[in-house]
Amino acid sequence: MEGLNMWLDFPIYASVAILCWLAASGLFLSSGKKLMNQMAAGFSFAGTAVLLVFIAILWMHIQRPPMRTLGETRLWYAIFLSGIGLVSYLRWKYKWIVSYSLGLAMVFLIINLQHPETYDKTLMPALQSPWFIPHVIVYIFAYAMLGASSLVALRNLFFAPTEKIVKGPIQMADNLVYLGFSFLTFGLLFGALWAKDAWGHYWTWDPKETWAFITWMFYLVYIHYRFRHPSEHKRAMTILAVSFAILLICWFGVNYLPSAQNSVHVYSE
Amino acid sequence: MSNENNRKTWKQTWSYREGTIVTAAILLLGFALQAAGGGMVLRVAAFPWNLVAGLVFLAFLIIAFILWQKNPIIKWLGGVKAALPAILGFTFLVLLMGFVKQDVEPKSTLVKLLGLTHLVKTWPFILINLYLMILLGIVTLRRLTPFSLKNAGFFLNHFGLFLVLFSTALGSSDMQRLRMNCYEDQTEWRAVDTSGKTVELPVAIKLLNFNIDEFRPKVTIIDNQSGQIVLNKGKNQFELLDRNSLDLFGYHVEVEQFLESSGKVGDAYFPVNEPGSAPSAKVKVTKDGIEISGWVCSGSYVNQPEALKLNEAHSLVMLPAEPRKFSSELDIQTKSGKQVTKTIEVNRPFKIDGWTIYQLSYNTEMGRWSNLSVLELVRDPWLPVVYFGIFLMMAGAAFLFITGKPKNGGTEHVA
Repeated sequence: MEGLNMWLDFPIYASVAILCWLAASGLFLSSGKKLMNQMAAGFSFAGTAVLLVFIAILWMHIQRPPMRTLGETRLWYAIFLSGIGLVSYLRWKYKWIVSYSLGLAMVFLIINLQHPETYDKTLMPALQSPWFIPHVIVYIFAYAMLGASSLVALRNLFFAPTEKIVKGPIQMADNLVYLGFSFLTFGLLFGALWAKDAWGHYWTWDPKETWAFITWMFYLVYIHYRFRHPSEHKRAMTILAVSFAILLICWFGVNYLPSAQNSVHVYSE
Repeated sequence: MSNENNRKTWKQTWSYREGTIVTAAILLLGFALQAAGGGMVLRVAAFPWNLVAGLVFLAFLIIAFILWQKNPIIKWLGGVKAALPAILGFTFLVLLMGFVKQDVEPKSTLVKLLGLTHLVKTWPFILINLYLMILLGIVTLRRLTPFSLKNAGFFLNHFGLFLVLFSTALGSSDMQRLRMNCYEDQTEWRAVDTSGKTVELPVAIKLLNFNIDEFRPKVTIIDNQSGQIVLNKGKNQFELLDRNSLDLFGYHVEVEQFLESSGKVGDAYFPVNEPGSAPSAKVKVTKDGIEISGWVCSGSYVNQPEALKLNEAHSLVMLPAEPRKFSSELDIQTKSGKQVTKTIEVNRPFKIDGWTIYQLSYNTEMGRWSNLSVLELVRDPWLPVVYFGIFLMMAGAAFLFITGKPKNGGTEHVA
């Protein structure tokens, strides 16, 4: 592997993953036969596995956890999102959730293909902590759960004209939000405990912290609204869709905000 | 719903309308107070007054709940219809913080008057925090009486957040964050606080040794005309010199010799270990059959860097090495008579007599020859309460994870 730029191989892995996922989506949409569905699930899993192999090799090559740059977090996101789509299908039997989450995962892979990453083996001392991996993984997993829930929301808002079609999926959205929110809380609190060790204070209203907190508050609003108004589906789904937009600002947008010029979280790209 | 629409505002039972009005009134009152005070920075009173105020608040909350728990207003305060507007009001303030850069000099009088550049120390923030604590306190008490294990998740989430808000608000003024400059072999007991005031500490620290462990330096190609790094889209802009042969922007680089610490004598570099010596490498660069060899050196605060000119357009340069780890070996003595020798580094602070000592920085210009280590000393007596709240919230999050969404909306009080 001497002298090999790992990310140069990325288009190969990404293309194989995308082809697998296209095949999976096609099979799911084409027929209702059991064998076809099983094959689709297999293809979906194969695509995720290919990316897992890539990230494992990348990790070994750069000798640090590949969780520092935006491109690296997008890669984890594609892996988690495709996995969550598949598990949701196996659990709730809605085929469209797989196609939707594979679609979103492919978007993230394509963004990575358009913005080729380079690797940097150096890792600043503040990031060298046992908290680094749990903090990032828990967060990206939460983002993937909440991303999947917002796909449900968008479907319910735009493609499901009757309340009856909405009702089943909305329970799935709730479950995804509850799981995602618990991970979001863990990620936030892990970050606070880590910050205490690294910077002397658990909360400094760093712009990323501020936006992470805003994101957390929006999902809090969704949970409380659903709790009190279980049958007002449209408004709940709108809250969920807006919350995901806030989440995306927290993840990517913060880098472009003037208020965030000196944030410790503005990842190099 | 039609009943709700026909109901007059402030007539029971209260709903979102009253919730929105109360939250908006709190925010408006807060900003009015802030402007009336000329936009000054607020601080909560320090010990013991913050503790007294906190206990009075708790007592008041519990007594009010016991006396009037059947009162429709108290019931409303413990419900979603008051909570949602309050959460949104708080989110509104945090959103302002997300867009307006904090802790800088305000650019306009309006920003200064409303305190938008230091929102966490303003009236609207403190008041909405207080309101949220009242709501969280009441809803916690409501779910505690009668006590039921089914409400455990609910209790952990709401009381945990209550404790975190309570202790961070009250503890903010008891927290001390000081910066201390330690020079090698000198004893220091003075430090500077955030406002620039010198404070004498009950802890004296002698820096025995400051140590930096560096990554190998990186090399890159620069444009001779502009002096800028040549953009290499989609490929690495630079390479770490952790191997003997590498490719960069079409150039093949062979490292013939790498010196971690070197000095220049005549035209070549030799291993030297004295302040200011820098890493260097003898390299052979080939492209299109043309071979160039020579030295590159990253330079230091004493020595000039050395680039290797490859052709009219490009040169190879070595960048200053980045720190992998920096640490300080300290001899610490306290007024209480303790003496310890301890090495601290980033992410590995050390606690003694209520103070936590952090490795913060060093003289970056001198790099690994720095004889200065900048330490941060933090005292935060409320931290155990904050952590207790954080752990309750984590347990609450674990509950959410395990039990998931309560079935049938609000009928089963799981979370």
